[in-house]
Amino acid sequence: MRIVIGEDSALFREGLSRLLTENGHDVTGTAETADALVDVVRALDPDLTIIDVRMPPTMTDDGARAAATLRAERPDRPILMLSQHIETRNVVGLVGTGGFGYLLKDRVLRVGDFLDAMRRVVDGGSALDPAIVAALVTPTRAGDPLAALSAREREVLALVAEGRSNGAIAAQLVLAERTVESHMRSIFQKLRIADAPDTHRRVLAVLTQLRQ
Amino acid sequence: MFVAAAAVRAVLAYGPPSVGSPADWPVTTVLLLPAFLLSWLVVVRVPASPIAPALALTATMPALVFTVEDWGASARTSRPWPWASALDAIADGTWPWIFLGFVTLVLLFPDGLLPGRLWRWVWAATPVAAALVTLVVSREGAARTSPTPLRVVLIVVVFGAFLATLLAAASSLVVRYRRGDELTRQRLRWLMAAAVAVPILLAASWLATALGVPGTLAYTWFLVAMLFLVPGAITVAILRHDLFDIDRLLGATVSWLVTTLISASVFAVVVLVVGGYFPDRVGITTAAFVTALVLLPLYHWIHRAIGRLVDPDRTVALARIRAFVRRVRDGEAEPEEIESVLRSALDDPGLRVLLRRPGAELAVPDDAIPLQTGDSVVGALILGTTSARRVRRAREAAVEARLPIEVSRLRLELREALAEVRSSRARLMDEVNAERQRLERDLHDGAQQRLIAIGMRVRSVQYQLSPGVPAYRELDEVVETLEHTVAELRRIAHGVRPSRLDDGLAVALRDLVADSTLPVDLVVPELEVGESAATTVYFTVGEAIANALKHARATRISISVGVTDQVLRAVVRDDGVGGAREGFGLTSLRDRVASVGGEFTVDSPPGAGTSITVEIPCAS
Repeated sequence: MRIVIGEDSALFREGLSRLLTENGHDVTGTAETADALVDVVRALDPDLTIIDVRMPPTMTDDGARAAATLRAERPDRPILMLSQHIETRNVVGLVGTGGFGYLLKDRVLRVGDFLDAMRRVVDGGSALDPAIVAALVTPTRAGDPLAALSAREREVLALVAEGRSNGAIAAQLVLAERTVESHMRSIFQKLRIADAPDTHRRVLAVLTQLRQ
Repeated sequence: MFVAAAAVRAVLAYGPPSVGSPADWPVTTVLLLPAFLLSWLVVVRVPASPIAPALALTATMPALVFTVEDWGASARTSRPWPWASALDAIADGTWPWIFLGFVTLVLLFPDGLLPGRLWRWVWAATPVAAALVTLVVSREGAARTSPTPLRVVLIVVVFGAFLATLLAAASSLVVRYRRGDELTRQRLRWLMAAAVAVPILLAASWLATALGVPGTLAYTWFLVAMLFLVPGAITVAILRHDLFDIDRLLGATVSWLVTTLISASVFAVVVLVVGGYFPDRVGITTAAFVTALVLLPLYHWIHRAIGRLVDPDRTVALARIRAFVRRVRDGEAEPEEIESVLRSALDDPGLRVLLRRPGAELAVPDDAIPLQTGDSVVGALILGTTSARRVRRAREAAVEARLPIEVSRLRLELREALAEVRSSRARLMDEVNAERQRLERDLHDGAQQRLIAIGMRVRSVQYQLSPGVPAYRELDEVVETLEHTVAELRRIAHGVRPSRLDDGLAVALRDLVADSTLPVDLVVPELEVGESAATTVYFTVGEAIANALKHARATRISISVGVTDQVLRAVVRDDGVGGAREGFGLTSLRDRVASVGGEFTVDSPPGAGTSITVEIPCAS
């Protein structure tokens, strides 16, 4: 696939670029600042855009804002955000949408998993870092509906949010797939979500709603 | 007129008639002269005051009366003057005119205005009454007949009228005192002090008479009081009413007078009662003993009573301050209220209490009253309105209010010192936080990023190998270690406690010392302590170990951690060179410990190792 990387650290950019190339992908463009990134993506229209949250000019959340701009122009554009640390504030609006991923930077070292996540995002699915999901599913306010979930349900929800299927979750947690399904029903019930076929997106939508 | 009268009398005395004894003229003239001279003094100093003419009148009227008497007396000599017999006839009744000056003075004192419109009649009645007395007495003298009942009644009525005008004039002083402002009262007190002296002097002269001194002395004392003390007091009142603390003078004088009279009565009563049953000597001794016994308490009691009466302001002011001091001592009032208490007690809304701030010199204004502790000026009273009297009051008040003033000053000092300490700690913590933020950025964008970049290169290299070779597995492990390192860096950088603390402080510390290159003796039980206490101890111990490794040239470290009496205590000891000084590392640790309310002590004598103790209160 054709990929554009927005990343200000040359070392990281080159390393990632090399790794992706070696795995058969085509890094068609790179950018060091958020503004340059938007221009490059508009010009090249890649299959996937990988963006560092913290970028020049302000070194705060310029990358996340560039992602929002690109998304506004083309709502189904696949975007994979990278961050050095857990930062949920600025990407929450994008988390619930399809074709979006948000991982900690060190996940790239698990090359296989990272490539899988890329694939899911490009296919319109989602890929969220477990640490970020954990931060998202941890109840923070009094009366937070997430507080009603049991520890196991939260674990399941986190894996769902990472974009895994019920089968994958069952394998991960060493459970029967049916058990996972019953957990899911309980989660929907507790979060007051009507049953519908595309569960992943709805859960993500709920997460987004809760965080906004 | 005074001079003319004196001259006429001189001629009468030393000229052909030779009235009276030769000593009469100098004595009476000298007696009258002071009042006259004082009136001149007042004229010179306060020309507008009508008191001066009134004073002059007090000297002139006796001079005129004496002249009429002497002139009339010449009728009984060989060389009578013209109309001498006529004047001699009225001479016996002229003495009431002597009082005309005093009545005028009393009515006009101290501001030269009558107390009210009706008082004009009192003033007008005085000469009328005096004239009536003269008329009645001289007709009595001229007729030299046996008194008829009608005459007796007439004399009684006329004398009564005269006495009434005198008393009315005297009562004007009471009216004035009650209505008057502070200055008026102050001046009236001088007059009262002089007036009180009259009975004292009379009593003294009676005593002298009783002891065998000629009886004329009483009359002389009376004259002295009338002609020296009263004009003198009036002059002082007009010119220098702030000269002495007249209130206390008056109070003390009256108290001693009353005390003396009562003691004398007690003495007399005891002598009378006891003397009836025992020999004289026993009676007198007992009387002296009893009198001595009651004298002092009696004086104190009377002094307080008189003080309330004569100088209620001072008594009330001091009593209020004393009551306040008592309340401060009992914890019912804050010492800082002293300013408002002094304001109301001294009736001075503009009064301020200045206290010296620590580390600053106090600039005491010239008219302020300094407050001293030892040799140093610690504060000052600044009065809103100054007068010698107010300054005296304020000095007394300052002495009474010493305790609350000193306590307020010390508390002020303490508060400022504490505020300084807090703000400096806050500044330090701000600096530390800023430093942490920089550190976090450096770690995220520097070290962490670089480690991941290295990891990616390792992966690139790894994929060039065949998965079967041992190096392939080994590189997997390298990358895994890098991942852990990055995760750890992230936690530290984020200001989150190390993940090992999740399993408890003991586990985290065991993990921590496992990395040490020196042997470490760690004594730590499983503890349940609060988050901040655990993190602080973890970092402090880590820092202490790092210091020991870096600077102390130690061969062994011992660490003991425990909780006693709800205090988490960690001691890190090494056997190094000691002599650790407060540098940035130790100071920031101290601040870190202080920020969670703990204490941090370093004991590091040169050559005897270093011991670092952290004590953090933890309610668990």
